[in-house]
Amino acid sequence: MLRTILAGIKARTARLVLSSVAIALGVAFVTGTLVLGDAMSAGMREEFAKSARNVDFAVTMSGDAKGIGAEELAKIRRTPGVAGADPRGFVPVPLITSAGKAKPALAVPLGSTEKLREYDLSTGRYPASDNEVAVDVRTASTAKLTVGGPVTLLGKDEQKREFTLVGTYQQGVGEMSMSGADHLVLTPAAFQSFDPERLAYQAVGVAADGYTQQQVTDAVAKALEGTGLRVQTGEELTADTLRSISSQAAEFTAFLLAFAVIALVVAAMVIYNTFTILVAQRTRELALMRCVGASRKQVFRSVLAEAVVMGFAASVIGLFGGLGVSALLQQLIGGFVTGGASPSVQLPLTGTTVLAAFGVGVLVTVLAAVLPARRATRVPPVAALRSQPDSSEEVSRTGRLRVLLAVLLGVGGAGVIVLGLGLEEQAAMMVTGAGTMIVLAAVLVLGPLLVGPVNRALGVVPRALFGVPAKLASANAGRNPKRTAATTAALMIGVTIVAMVTVVANSAKETANAQIDERMPADYTVTSSVPSRLLPAELATQLAASPAVERVAPTAEVVGEGAYFVAVAQDSLGNLFRPKVESGSLADLKAGTIAVRSDYAKAEGLTVGSTKAVKTENGSGDLKVVAIVTGQRLGDGVVTLETAKALNPELAGYDSIMVKLKPGVADSRAAVEQVTDTSPLAVLDSAAETKEQLNKQLDQVLAFVWAMIGLAVVIALFGIANTLTLSVLERTRESALLRALGLTRGQLRLMLVVESVLMAVMGAAIGLVLGVGFGWVITTAVSTDAVAVVLTVPFGQIAAMLGAAVVAAVLAAALPARRAARTSVVAGMAEA
Amino acid sequence: MSALVSDVGTRTAVAAANLVKVYGKGDTAVRALDGVSVAFEAGKFTAIMGPSGSGKSTLMHCLAGLDNVDGGTVHIAGTEITSLGDKDLTKLRRDRIGFVFQAFNLLPTLSAEQNVLLGLELAGRKPDRAWFDTIVDVLGLRERLRHKPTELSGGQQQRVACARALVAKPDVVFADEPTGNLDSRSGAEVLDFLRMSVRKLGQTVIMVTHDPVAASYADRVVLLADGHLAGEIDNPTADSVLSALKHLGA
Ligand SMILES: Nc1ncnc2c1ncn2[C@@H]1O[C@H](COP(=O)(O)OP(=O)(O)O)[C@@H](O)[C@H]1O
Ligand SMILES: [Mg+2]
Repeated sequence: MLRTILAGIKARTARLVLSSVAIALGVAFVTGTLVLGDAMSAGMREEFAKSARNVDFAVTMSGDAKGIGAEELAKIRRTPGVAGADPRGFVPVPLITSAGKAKPALAVPLGSTEKLREYDLSTGRYPASDNEVAVDVRTASTAKLTVGGPVTLLGKDEQKREFTLVGTYQQGVGEMSMSGADHLVLTPAAFQSFDPERLAYQAVGVAADGYTQQQVTDAVAKALEGTGLRVQTGEELTADTLRSISSQAAEFTAFLLAFAVIALVVAAMVIYNTFTILVAQRTRELALMRCVGASRKQVFRSVLAEAVVMGFAASVIGLFGGLGVSALLQQLIGGFVTGGASPSVQLPLTGTTVLAAFGVGVLVTVLAAVLPARRATRVPPVAALRSQPDSSEEVSRTGRLRVLLAVLLGVGGAGVIVLGLGLEEQAAMMVTGAGTMIVLAAVLVLGPLLVGPVNRALGVVPRALFGVPAKLASANAGRNPKRTAATTAALMIGVTIVAMVTVVANSAKETANAQIDERMPADYTVTSSVPSRLLPAELATQLAASPAVERVAPTAEVVGEGAYFVAVAQDSLGNLFRPKVESGSLADLKAGTIAVRSDYAKAEGLTVGSTKAVKTENGSGDLKVVAIVTGQRLGDGVVTLETAKALNPELAGYDSIMVKLKPGVADSRAAVEQVTDTSPLAVLDSAAETKEQLNKQLDQVLAFVWAMIGLAVVIALFGIANTLTLSVLERTRESALLRALGLTRGQLRLMLVVESVLMAVMGAAIGLVLGVGFGWVITTAVSTDAVAVVLTVPFGQIAAMLGAAVVAAVLAAALPARRAARTSVVAGMAEA
Repeated sequence: MSALVSDVGTRTAVAAANLVKVYGKGDTAVRALDGVSVAFEAGKFTAIMGPSGSGKSTLMHCLAGLDNVDGGTVHIAGTEITSLGDKDLTKLRRDRIGFVFQAFNLLPTLSAEQNVLLGLELAGRKPDRAWFDTIVDVLGLRERLRHKPTELSGGQQQRVACARALVAKPDVVFADEPTGNLDSRSGAEVLDFLRMSVRKLGQTVIMVTHDPVAASYADRVVLLADGHLAGEIDNPTADSVLSALKHLGA
């Protein structure tokens, strides 16, 4: 007797532990996400504080004022109560690396007031004379610079200027470093020499002893009256900066929370399913309670109480697991957030996080248990007298209501999708995305009705391979459609989302690759490593002269008011530069004419034959529209280089030079590099290399999403293991009977493994079908006239997902199968 | 004892010698079987009788290779089974033994016909169609073959179990209280069939029961008390069994 009781408790513990794991994983994910968000904003706060530290007042350009010049600065410094003030500004100063190539970098002037510097010295010292420089620690390491060694900076007109590196420093995460730019500090005079006209965007200062922040701020404001500059106290500046950080961190947290919600939904389904099975199995126990006088309320409460205890325990585990998840995520994404600096792992645990963990864990568990608990109250006392727990009643009611609801959801979802397809860009994606999720819900509702046919279809293969055990497995997988549907639903959700994201990402990748092909008909494209510096015109001549080169096509840019145009050599039209012509003809594109991009033409009301007035910084002209074109890299329109020169006489140099090589050149890259090496600015891109780089980035994003959804999938697999364990317990006698009739241990294990695989593949297969379909919907939604996103189904990755589902299912079946096979026949038969 | 086994080996379907089975350890150990030696003739219907807790089920489990023994030997059709491993025992069960249990004999996911043929399928053997039809017709299951167990009455379920036990023409059929859960009319049908299968079809049936009426269908009754053999009755009637039981103090 004691043995039975102990066995019962043990079996029950196993069940409860299994279900708790699912909820704990969900809670861990939510906690991890919240902690990560807090850690990030705390980290950024600390870093950002550097830009506002010790500042008593700040003068910032705004509206009319173009910046802070020497005159304003002098006024500020003269103001009574100001102990010191420094300008903040930056100039792009390319830096020549040890490889001889230019690297974009931002130079800032060394502040005269030490307290106000936004950076902390790391090694050496700050520059004291005008030929000395200090660089950011990270820049020093990537450009391979050593303290005491020379540093070459690129001045105006590619003039090389030699400096000596005297120190390195750690910069705070300011607006500049967030962009990931390299960074260096010069003396104010040296800084000035790079761009004498550049104005500072901000000036900050400290108050003299005896002055409060407010007093000095008021005084400075008065001194600057009429300049239009904004003057605020240090505290206000700090608050301003922090506001911008918090919103950034919040955005990222929201992104991660989306994944956490998916994990939770999946966990909730697993919990719901577990409780449903537990209640079904406890039918007799509950009925007995009713027989001896327990009221419905008491039965309801007893089931719910179990859920509360379980949810609470699982939340505690999940909370601590979440700290681990957060640490892991910080390591994972730290680099890309802090711009490469090694992230220090922080685990701030706020009250909100703890509340969220318990709220979510307990609430989800209790909600998931409410329906089964209600069902428990319906158990009639006579059920206790039935010899065998009977789940057939539960099976039979897959009624009309379900179909009706599924149809309503399906039609609603389809409607939302159609609505979304009519919208543009971001909105189209959001609305169609929401539509697909409604359709997913419809399929979930329909689930129990799908189990039968899908199971029959999928069961064919294992039956052919493994015979009787597989036949029994297939029968078992289909015996309780509701349970099977609920079990596979969790996996289905995960796989649907993964498949959808994968299809969309791959489609995006293919489309981008196709665009690169279209955009880069040349073998190589030479561009400037520093966006603000143009390639010298001679470079095109030199390249054209190279024996390996067949032709070159330089391009330049003309910036007009509210529009920009691409200028190309006339003779490159139709070969290296070939936009699609909608109307008119490119043959007419010569001096004084323009080919306008179709959407710009629409917006401006331009047609072939009309005239477009273009005004640049240095000139203007009326251009006759000769063609309407579409395609990539056209700006708002295309003009010839002559036209560009006429519009902007100051234009010197090119944005890019496309290079087409003669056929059969052996080492093509070396041939081009021979020429481009003479210019420190020139970088070489080939279509193939650009694609590779882009694909790598997209693959990284995809890997991140896979990792995030991976957790939901793991929870779903726990669900399968859970259901299987419970089913094995429920079928102890059946297993024993089969063993008595001659099913070997191995066959019994095989039977459970096949059942597990069938359930997993069922979820994965439906998920894949939905995911690919949804992927198609979304790619269609984001396609525009200009960019048609081509649906690309990554069959390799899909096969990998199915394969992974099978492997995981085998693993999920391992424990329950072991347990079933170890039970002796006689003991199994004796089980009530 | 071993002499007994080899002497009658050709006519003996199942034989046990000095069978010992102990549950538990130390103070709480229960000797469920305490040196039981008994032989069961082929082509006979034998009932194992005794009061509750006397070791009937334990004996049957040991005879059928469902449970391991703590001493002694069991031969089935000349094969020593107590030294066999789990794999060989499983093979032996599915090839040479038929079972009818008191309850939960059928797999709820399979139809009656599939349940009948399950053992053969597990053994990878083709069913003898004529034999299958004979059994099904005798048991009156023809109309029920497509039904799931939940759609069958208790008596019908037990008849399906009987069909399954016999369809493979096993060396011996073990039945543990096959009528224990049935009303007397359904019980009589099942017992009639078991007796008929022995008389007309030459089957060997060993049935555990505590019901004197059920035992009276058998050719011979083996009495068990406290894990010991406590007598035998040939050609039993319900009355003779009842009085024998009374002598055992049940
Ligand atoms: N699994 C077991 N563990 C411990 N004792 C058992 C077990 N099975 C049976 N017994 C004991 O062995 C004895 C014989 O049991 P059993 O063969 O089931 O008797 P019967 O079938 O004649 O009623 C009883 O005393 C019973 O309590
Ligand atoms: Mg018994």
